[in-house]
Amino acid sequence: MSNFSVGFRSSGTVQILDLRGELDAHTAAELEAAIQKCQRDQTYRLLVNGSNLAYISSAGLGVFMAFIEDFRDRGGDIKIAALQPKVFNVFDLLGFPMLFDIVPTEGDAIMKFETIAR
Amino acid sequence: MITLPTIRAKARTVLLGLAFGVSVVVAFGYHLLAWSAGKPPDDLFGVFFHLVLLVGYTSLWVIAVEHGERNRHAAARTFWGLAVFAVGAIVATVLLLLVARPTEAPEGIDPTLLLGFDLESGVPIVMASVFKMNSLALVKGMFAILLLSRLRTLVLVKRTRLSQRNWNLMLGLMGASSLATAFTPAGTDLNEWQTIVMIAAFVMMVVNSFRLSWIVSLSFRQKMMAAGMSLLLLIALSAGIGVAEDTLIARSVSPGVQAYIEHFSYPLSMFSGQAVMFGILYCATTILSLLFHLPTTSDFQQRAGERAAMHSLAHQVGDVFVAARLHEAISRSPVDAGCAHAAWLALSDPGAASLRPRIVEAVNIDRLRIEEILDLEALYDELQDKKKPFVLEQALADRRIRALPADGIGSLVAAPLLARDRVIGALFATKNVAMGFERDEVETIALLAAQAALAIENSRLFEQQVERERLARELSIAREVQRRLLPQSAPQLHGLAVAASSVSAQEVGGDYYDFVRLDEDRMGLIVADVSGKGTSAAFYMAEMQGIFQSASRLTTSPIDFLSHANVAIADSLERNVFITCVYGVIDVRNETFVLARAGHCPAATVHLTGGASYLRSGGMGLGLDRTDLFRKSLSESVVRLQPGDVIALYTDGVVESRNGTQEEFGYDRLLSVLAENRHEDAFEIHDAVIRALASFIGDKEYDDDMTLLILKWHGIGASGPMISTRVGIS
Repeated sequence: MSNFSVGFRSSGTVQILDLRGELDAHTAAELEAAIQKCQRDQTYRLLVNGSNLAYISSAGLGVFMAFIEDFRDRGGDIKIAALQPKVFNVFDLLGFPMLFDIVPTEGDAIMKFETIAR
Repeated sequence: MITLPTIRAKARTVLLGLAFGVSVVVAFGYHLLAWSAGKPPDDLFGVFFHLVLLVGYTSLWVIAVEHGERNRHAAARTFWGLAVFAVGAIVATVLLLLVARPTEAPEGIDPTLLLGFDLESGVPIVMASVFKMNSLALVKGMFAILLLSRLRTLVLVKRTRLSQRNWNLMLGLMGASSLATAFTPAGTDLNEWQTIVMIAAFVMMVVNSFRLSWIVSLSFRQKMMAAGMSLLLLIALSAGIGVAEDTLIARSVSPGVQAYIEHFSYPLSMFSGQAVMFGILYCATTILSLLFHLPTTSDFQQRAGERAAMHSLAHQVGDVFVAARLHEAISRSPVDAGCAHAAWLALSDPGAASLRPRIVEAVNIDRLRIEEILDLEALYDELQDKKKPFVLEQALADRRIRALPADGIGSLVAAPLLARDRVIGALFATKNVAMGFERDEVETIALLAAQAALAIENSRLFEQQVERERLARELSIAREVQRRLLPQSAPQLHGLAVAASSVSAQEVGGDYYDFVRLDEDRMGLIVADVSGKGTSAAFYMAEMQGIFQSASRLTTSPIDFLSHANVAIADSLERNVFITCVYGVIDVRNETFVLARAGHCPAATVHLTGGASYLRSGGMGLGLDRTDLFRKSLSESVVRLQPGDVIALYTDGVVESRNGTQEEFGYDRLLSVLAENRHEDAFEIHDAVIRALASFIGDKEYDDDMTLLILKWHGIGASGPMISTRVGIS
């Protein structure tokens, strides 16, 4: 029934989450669980790939808010990459670009992580 | 209580009784006539006499049947009553024979003198004979009717259409064979037709005498009683005024009685004779059948116990308020059904995450002791695997049971309580001997467990329902409270029309809009949206209302207002919750609308010329940032109002509403609906958007809170305050 899924990948020290489908109040818990798993694994460099994310609701946005402080406190970050224009618009309206590193491509994000690492 | 039907029934009984009484008097008169004339009356009189008798005894029969139906007794009591009446009838007969008996006849005297009537014609010779004939016939006739009517209640236990028909057929044949003798002289043998009918009646008597359904439900004691009483009746019938007129016993008790009755009326004699014959048959089959049934009584009683246990359990299904009582009834049921010596019930707690079963009730065995000696979880696991009952024939040998012989667990049946294919509990039953359970007993226990599962599931659903109803009530109160937080009207400003509404997807929502009059010319207004839906959103919405009511009075600058609001609310918001809002101040003197946006959907403006756009100034949502960054993100838009301008403020529920194909209503569609209707007033524009939305999403339900606020500026020069104050929540 749920048309949302989170795929796990990694590139170097960066944990990549591939979001697919619609992230709303019902599916937000899945993303929450995925990010909590990263916390448990102590991988604090998180890259969320939104190229297959079709929709995000305010509850979905809230998930990112819930974790960002913790990740940054631990020297990591949550970067968001490759959002579809419509989804980006939602992030943008809310002022997320001022709070999150939202980049056009996954490569950009990985590069940014690596730059900081050096 | 006396009601009309009972009065009518009583009147009927009295009339029928009267008819019988008349027939008795007429019969007496008839024989008196014969005696005084010294010869039998004419055939016409004979026909009349028998008709009257027929009517009289039919009336008596109806009374007796109705009385029997009203007063049904156990079989033993019925037999006892009949036996008492039979003895009474015998005594009455003997007394009647002794009374007015002609003195001993001298040697060589015609025995007819002894009887008192002419054996050939049946004409009474002495007056005493008339009296004796009538009295004896009355006693026997009445007894025959009583006997038949009482046996009828037994024959027709668990009646079917067939059994009813057989009974009526028997009565009919008995009547027919009796009436066929109406013109046969007393004492003559039956002709062949009469014999055939008589035999047919006898066959039906045999058939009816095997209707013994009442026996099955009797206990051992009751069967013994019934057998004894029917034996008593059998003796009374065959010894006394029975068909065995010629037997030695009969003759010694009531010599010549048959002759009297035959001469009174041959048909009555025939009928009463057959009634007694049926009584004898019925008693005989009863005794035999009872004797054969005695050994199987305990089995029948177990069946009855099972039925009672099932019934009591089914009754508990409706009485679900006290779980403990239900558990007790379930645990008791195998014992009550006679299938087990002890039983207990284990349930897995639906609330707890683990499905560990717990023994909630035990009957005839100590609960703590079972917990001690039983590996409940291992047994329960097996039930969960099999989802079928299983039997441990040698319970003491099973490793999951550490019982001592003294615990009385010889064999054990475990039956699962299945609800929607899930094991929600288990019913255990034990016997104190090994190999104690028969297959049908295991099936009964399984059946009881199935009933129990139904009852428990029912009671849980009921509890859930009660809880749901309570929540629904709470929510409807919350909804009412929230409705009061929204404005009931908008401040009236010269030249400005306002229409607004809010819809919650659930009982309560996170959308908020409000107005505040700042001074004579200015009004502040807000549209806000708490992230998420439902109750938590509703609480923040309420908080937002408080902040709006206070902060809007502190400043007329939208940026200042939003900064105040962010500081005020940020600390109380959960980390993953934020609020978007748009705050604007409309100034009708200077014809300006100044607004700032905190992460909210941009306001739409439409000019009279058709130019339409969104006011997308910068600004992040409330609660996203607790530092100066928030204030820095904000910027103000200033709209110079021109007459005819339309401004729409809304929440994302409007633009994100989706139709059946998951397409969003979207910003473009909203703008074009506004532009198309820009010549209308605020009301009509508001309604046009709502209509467009409704037709767009079609049958789907709103899945987000939705708020829409339309401002229409008519200009300072517009005549009169063109204010629409229709605002509300739906």
